[in-house]
Amino acid sequence: MRSKSVPVVSRGESMALASEICRLRKGMGIRMTYQEFKEAVVRYAVENQIADYELYYTESESVSVEIFREEVKGYSTEDRMGICFRCVVNGKAGYASTENRTEEEAKSLVLRAMDNAGSIESEEKAFIHRQGDTYAVLEEKGMAVPSGAELTDAALALQKELYQADSRVTDGTQAYMAYSSEKYALCNSNGLDLEDRISCSMCYAIPLVSDGGEMYDGFKNKMGDLKDFDIKAIAEEAVEDAVSTIGAESVLSGKYTVIFSNKAMATLLQTYASVFSAEEAQKGMSLLNGKEGEKIAADIITIVDDPMYPDSVMKRTFDGEGVAACAKNVVEGGVLSTLLHNLKTAANAGVKSTGNAGRLSYASVIGVSPYTFYIRPAEKEQSEAADGAAKKIPEGLFALAGEGIYVTELMGLHAGANPVTGDFSLASKGFLITDGKKGAPVKNFTVSGNFFDLLKEVEKLGDDLDFIRGKYGSPSVMVRNLAVAGKEE
Amino acid sequence: MLSRELVKEALRRALATGADYAEVFAEHTLNKSITIISGKTDKIADAVVSGVGVRIFKGTRCVSGSASSLAPEALLDCASRVADALTGTAVVQDICLRERLFGDIHPVKIVPAGVANAEKIEYIREACLAAKDYSEEISQVRGIFAEVDHNILIATSEGLFAQDRQIRSRVLASSIASKDGENQDGGVNHGARKGLELFSEYDPKELGREASRQAVTMLHAGYIKAGTMPVAIENGFGDVIFHEACGHSLEASSVALGQSQFAGKLGTRIANTKVTAIDDGTIPNSWGSMNIDDEGTPAQKNVLIENGILKSYMVDKLNGRRMGMASTGNSRRQSYSYEPTSRMTNTYIAAGQDEDKDIIASIEYGLYAKSMGGGSVNPVTGQFNFSVDEGYVIRNGEICEPVRGASLIGKGSEVLMNIDMVGKNVARAQGMCGASSGSIPTDVGQPLIRVSSIVVGGR
Repeated sequence: MRSKSVPVVSRGESMALASEICRLRKGMGIRMTYQEFKEAVVRYAVENQIADYELYYTESESVSVEIFREEVKGYSTEDRMGICFRCVVNGKAGYASTENRTEEEAKSLVLRAMDNAGSIESEEKAFIHRQGDTYAVLEEKGMAVPSGAELTDAALALQKELYQADSRVTDGTQAYMAYSSEKYALCNSNGLDLEDRISCSMCYAIPLVSDGGEMYDGFKNKMGDLKDFDIKAIAEEAVEDAVSTIGAESVLSGKYTVIFSNKAMATLLQTYASVFSAEEAQKGMSLLNGKEGEKIAADIITIVDDPMYPDSVMKRTFDGEGVAACAKNVVEGGVLSTLLHNLKTAANAGVKSTGNAGRLSYASVIGVSPYTFYIRPAEKEQSEAADGAAKKIPEGLFALAGEGIYVTELMGLHAGANPVTGDFSLASKGFLITDGKKGAPVKNFTVSGNFFDLLKEVEKLGDDLDFIRGKYGSPSVMVRNLAVAGKEE
Repeated sequence: MLSRELVKEALRRALATGADYAEVFAEHTLNKSITIISGKTDKIADAVVSGVGVRIFKGTRCVSGSASSLAPEALLDCASRVADALTGTAVVQDICLRERLFGDIHPVKIVPAGVANAEKIEYIREACLAAKDYSEEISQVRGIFAEVDHNILIATSEGLFAQDRQIRSRVLASSIASKDGENQDGGVNHGARKGLELFSEYDPKELGREASRQAVTMLHAGYIKAGTMPVAIENGFGDVIFHEACGHSLEASSVALGQSQFAGKLGTRIANTKVTAIDDGTIPNSWGSMNIDDEGTPAQKNVLIENGILKSYMVDKLNGRRMGMASTGNSRRQSYSYEPTSRMTNTYIAAGQDEDKDIIASIEYGLYAKSMGGGSVNPVTGQFNFSVDEGYVIRNGEICEPVRGASLIGKGSEVLMNIDMVGKNVARAQGMCGASSGSIPTDVGQPLIRVSSIVVGGR
């Protein structure tokens, strides 16, 4: 890798180019800094007599490296930024967003948002948040920013470890490393001016294993500080994930005791997270509407939403409207204590916002979304060893289940799991549980049920809390009597 | 969008360290979507997406970069940043950019961006009101109108300089039916590479009523008993089975790396002889159509499988280098910030010889999948799944009561062999497909087909 760019413009070219850039600047406008653009937008807002407005700004820089065979297959750098302007006119919110920071666009942004506000008919009132919240402070962890070369070396090392982990690892195996830093900023007409910065390295190991003419893939990812990644352990876990499925067959259709692994259950929780949104509930799209204070899950279930979860690489201090982010138990001892609210849904319900105004991206309209969202695990048993060892296999649950299926992966959740009805019917893979122990690998079967029923029927939780996407977490959970479709006798 | 001189300079900078190929992709896109809930406009998202993506190839190695700006300095910085990842001296010296016009085979009568919100809102509202009126059991209706005005510019060190404007419109209605603390939903959508003339082609009331009919039908349905059985899959979105079971595994992004169940199978039989499958990016005004792909290759009609024999993969330039194959015009990206790769366009199973009534009559006990939801696949293992939104039990060759909660799973290579009856009446439907190069519009289609044996997930 080199770090400096090589100027290759000859003199004549350079002149032509300079005049070209000059012409373009006249035609398309000059790219402004965010500060300049912000000032221009505010100027146009004031000119158009808009008193209530907000600017939401995100910026990210990322580098990623992808290895195939023994070499770098792809190397990519990305600089992204986007700005959303939201105004409230007669209580209605209008949005417009852009990636184009020019004077003309600043004007157009304000006009588009005003026009859109004028088309809103919903009677719900929109708000621009006021000052006065107390915000947490993100500690500067001093994470080193890896260079492109360091990421590449780490990715090559990971690839090497993947091939070394098992002789059946074959071409098609891929290792990825990436680093990304993001900034979220919000300012509004009430004087709020907030900013969060987060950054982390990510690593993905995707080994391909060939055995008896069949291919098997494995997966392991890690987020955090590059220098904390144990490359060899990541590779071994990823390869074990693939190798352990060799020879998997389907299971007989029927009713089974099912243990969902921590990650499988976290995937399910992610898919159904929207049922805890007050917005979905108020619009009749969540069956939890009006169920606050009621028992909706087994006594052992507590679901936590925590923007400052200690191990999270995505800690946030404010939400998509500038409300202070805070930790809360959404479900406590099986009782629904609160839904997740933004300012609008909170006003509709006559409660305080829980600081969960969500924006999927800077260009999205405000909805509701959780932070680090997880099912609290069972207390660790005294005899359990250190953290890492306990995370692997929920032995206690196996013994309790006796016979059943340990589901380690659920697929096609966007289609096979329906948040409106709670029904799910999902392609799965995992292992048989025989004699209270992990048995032979199984695949090509579905597990079906209903999420709301499942919450009530969880019989036992593991102590092996783990997360997917650095955000949704669960321990392993055991449920009896779930319908499984596979082969016939 | 960007001048030829500027783009040429960017290409030159990108090639400075020894790449043998460079490409600039620039984009200026308007995205708008209007959501109506309870009969009233609830939210409007209105976004301008604009930026540049630069890629260079050295053999089969690719370096790419992107930036959220169309400013000249942003493009040039991006090009230099990309070149910085290689160490060498320029091997391509002369770039002569020639502007090429590919024409537009997808005429648009009413450009959506030029029409006020009110007109779009009225259409969706009409759909929502009809949906609500369908039954007292309908508790909520959501309607969405979405428009995209996607302007792209592609220039390559091979001399191509081309632009395209892709306008798409889509309408969606979804209904929830409720009874005794239970919800069931139904949904319908139509989309095309068209403007607002789409409104005159679909009666909004019909759209709304169909969504509600599905929701109410499912509210009164029981669950299907899980098991392995024959399934008749209806035309239109039913082809999601081919999209998942086979389509993704024929994309060069999987095949070139040996990550596909169908790698190395060209010229061999991978499906039942009744199956002929086509990917055609040239169908005028179709949802997944293009004039040129995102690498500047003209869209093509590619026969993927002919009477069961694998004839072609879907190939992009980079993976084509690894496979020693030319691009088939399938390279696509959601936006400048994604690297393009081979993707489907409009994919369908061609009409066969079987009568619909014979297909149903041939099944003693099984499932009739009338309306499908989405699905997914692992191309490595070929394991795929997709959900059935509206299904019915078939008993003694007749369609009987509705059943809910079914999903179909299997292994692509096995299921393709099991497609043993293919009807005559092809219909197509629209979806969004997500993969490494982002979420893109793709069209699926097929006649009624029979799969002789497949796992049906149920209770």
